[in-house]
Amino acid sequence: MNAIAHALPTTATHGALSIRGLSKSYALKGKPMQVLKDIELNIQPGEFVSIVGASGCGKSTLLRLIVGLDQAYQGQILLDQQPVHGPGLERGIVFQDHRLFPWMTLQQNIALALKNHTMPATHKDRLVAEHIALVGLSGYEQAYPHQLSGGMAQRAAIARALVNKPKVLLLDEPLGALDALTRVRLQQELQRIWVQERCTVIMVTHDIEEALYLGDRVIVMDAHPGRIREDLRIDLPHPRERDSTVLQAYKQRLLGELVGH
Amino acid sequence: MNLKSLRGLVLPLLLLGAWEYASRQDAAGAYAFVPLAQVGAAWVEVLGSGELLVNLWASLLRTCTGLALGIVGGIGLGALMALSAPANRLIAPLFHALRQVPMLGWIPLIALCFGNGESAKLLIVSLAALYPMVLNTFESLRQVEGQHREAARVLMLSRAQQLRLILLPAALPGIAAGVLQALAFAWVTSVGSELFLSSGAGLGSLMMNAEAGARMEIIVVCVLCIGLCGYLMSWLCTLLSRRLLRWRPTR
Amino acid sequence: MRLLSLLSWLISPVALLALWALLANAGLFPANLLIPPLEVWHSFTDLLATGELQEHLTGSLSRLALGFVVGALAGLAFGTALALSKTVEAYCAPLFHTLRQIPSIALIPMFVLLFGVDETFKIVIVAKTAFFPVALATCEGVRAIPRSHFEVAAVYRLRWTTLVGLIALPAAVPAIVTGVRVALTRAWVVLVACELLAADSGMGQMIEMGRQMLRIDVVMVGVVITGVIGFTLDFGLRRVERRFTRWQSR
Repeated sequence: MNAIAHALPTTATHGALSIRGLSKSYALKGKPMQVLKDIELNIQPGEFVSIVGASGCGKSTLLRLIVGLDQAYQGQILLDQQPVHGPGLERGIVFQDHRLFPWMTLQQNIALALKNHTMPATHKDRLVAEHIALVGLSGYEQAYPHQLSGGMAQRAAIARALVNKPKVLLLDEPLGALDALTRVRLQQELQRIWVQERCTVIMVTHDIEEALYLGDRVIVMDAHPGRIREDLRIDLPHPRERDSTVLQAYKQRLLGELVGH
Repeated sequence: MNLKSLRGLVLPLLLLGAWEYASRQDAAGAYAFVPLAQVGAAWVEVLGSGELLVNLWASLLRTCTGLALGIVGGIGLGALMALSAPANRLIAPLFHALRQVPMLGWIPLIALCFGNGESAKLLIVSLAALYPMVLNTFESLRQVEGQHREAARVLMLSRAQQLRLILLPAALPGIAAGVLQALAFAWVTSVGSELFLSSGAGLGSLMMNAEAGARMEIIVVCVLCIGLCGYLMSWLCTLLSRRLLRWRPTR
Repeated sequence: MRLLSLLSWLISPVALLALWALLANAGLFPANLLIPPLEVWHSFTDLLATGELQEHLTGSLSRLALGFVVGALAGLAFGTALALSKTVEAYCAPLFHTLRQIPSIALIPMFVLLFGVDETFKIVIVAKTAFFPVALATCEGVRAIPRSHFEVAAVYRLRWTTLVGLIALPAAVPAIVTGVRVALTRAWVVLVACELLAADSGMGQMIEMGRQMLRIDVVMVGVVITGVIGFTLDFGLRRVERRFTRWQSR
């Protein structure tokens, strides 16, 4: 696995996402509140993009717009040149809370994502088993979500999002609720899975180190209204060393910018 | 087995003693507080003659039929109200107005319209089971968390699939709690309706006949039976729902 | 717009009333079975004018008040004792939990034999009905006061009057108020049932007399008023409940 991948992947041909002039406002107590303003973003197929920013900068809202849960916005979201309308299976999402359905076993939860595919049942079973293995949960197929630890549940959620072979995988602070050690382990796992699957990934996080460690690009956002402040390209091959001096330098710089001294 | 764990028996035994003492005081006492031996004899009597079983069976059968009707109707009505706003607008005002009337208060009205036979009683029992089912189904469907709904949308499930795979299972714990309530209501109402419409078989009718004949011992037997059956049924129901809801974390 | 949405809730009740009036006046059913709504209203005003209704109402409500106060106070005291004392729990809990399985309605025939059909019987059964839910709720409410609250109080060296007044009571009261509400509505149901079976006055007796004399209009007036009272009791205590639970989330 260590041999794979340098810089941008050449294997991915789908999953180019472009966002043009995207603005979004809510009505808060009758007054309009602008959460996102003039977002311009072009993401190459197979790219891993991290988005960081202070709370309230609209980074999670941006993901909800891309996944199609919220369709009231100005501007355009194009996936492979096609405008995005509502949720679709070519975009998978993992939320901060795993959102597995507690009354289904792990296997049933993942199989649910394939519910509306017209493929033979044996094929579905194989896909499910493959993805359970991919996230390292073989042996837990029949477990209910409450029997899994937080990290395991989040792995299962990742498997559920990936089983449809989405062109774009959206991660909304996927590791935010986990303890520090589990988090580091899952970051490595995410990197391995991404190198293996090579889909476009957009990850929202509040952890600068995580953003730098995983992202080909790190987008820094500002709040009130939410807008892109900086688009940083991290030219380091994957898998990366956590304590690489390049990453450390970036980290110091971003921390300084975001915290303000 | 230590002595301390027997402390719970002291009070019941004292009460039984007082009861027996009262029964031996005078004729009036013996009339109201029948001697314990007589209660024991009554058990043997009503069990032996089959009277108890026939009446118990009648009450139980009506409870179960009414409960089944109430559950089916209640889930249907509750789901309709929860999923369709127009239906809720039309049904909710009537439902909430009608449900304010005490269950047994309906009996005279129902008896005037449907007579005092089995169908009137069954109607009352079904109604008693219907209320908690509608309320619980409605509430628990409404309270299905937004995050479950969102996850279902992202997975592109159809409306029917969302209802069958997400909304109903998510609401199931609330619905099961409703069944438990409905069972208690149905049982009380089944026996209660027999007190008022005491034609036909049933524990309530048996009690009313015993009251007319001043047979306190038979009433005591019936009360014990009613309490015991109610307890057993809700225990069974809890067991069943725990089995059905085994995906929930056990505390 | 708000008004319009409010009015839409009235569609079905008004439609039902109209249908009822239409069917009753069309004469499809015998007139003594399906009474037009207007006649029910006239019976109501008649009952009101003769003072009959007020008499029945006072009878029922005074019974309810007396029985309920006795039962609820006893429940409050017993529930607190059950929660605080291990001894009381050891001696009383098994009997308490056994007896509370027996529905009040099922006890009516027994209490009639024990206490006769007079006032005593009704008040005892109302008190019994009120006692168990209040005792149970009090016990659980008091037990649920978090121990950590007492530790905080100890750290700040609060006096025990402050402790009870500002910490123990507010923590336990919401559960108790809920218990009282449940007890009151149940007591009302059981009282009406008792009056239906054996009484010389009261709402239940009025309904029962109406039934025996085949006066459906009187029965309907009684049923509606019983419902209104039940609703008012429940609604009033829900307001109280909300006042005491304002600090809780949701």
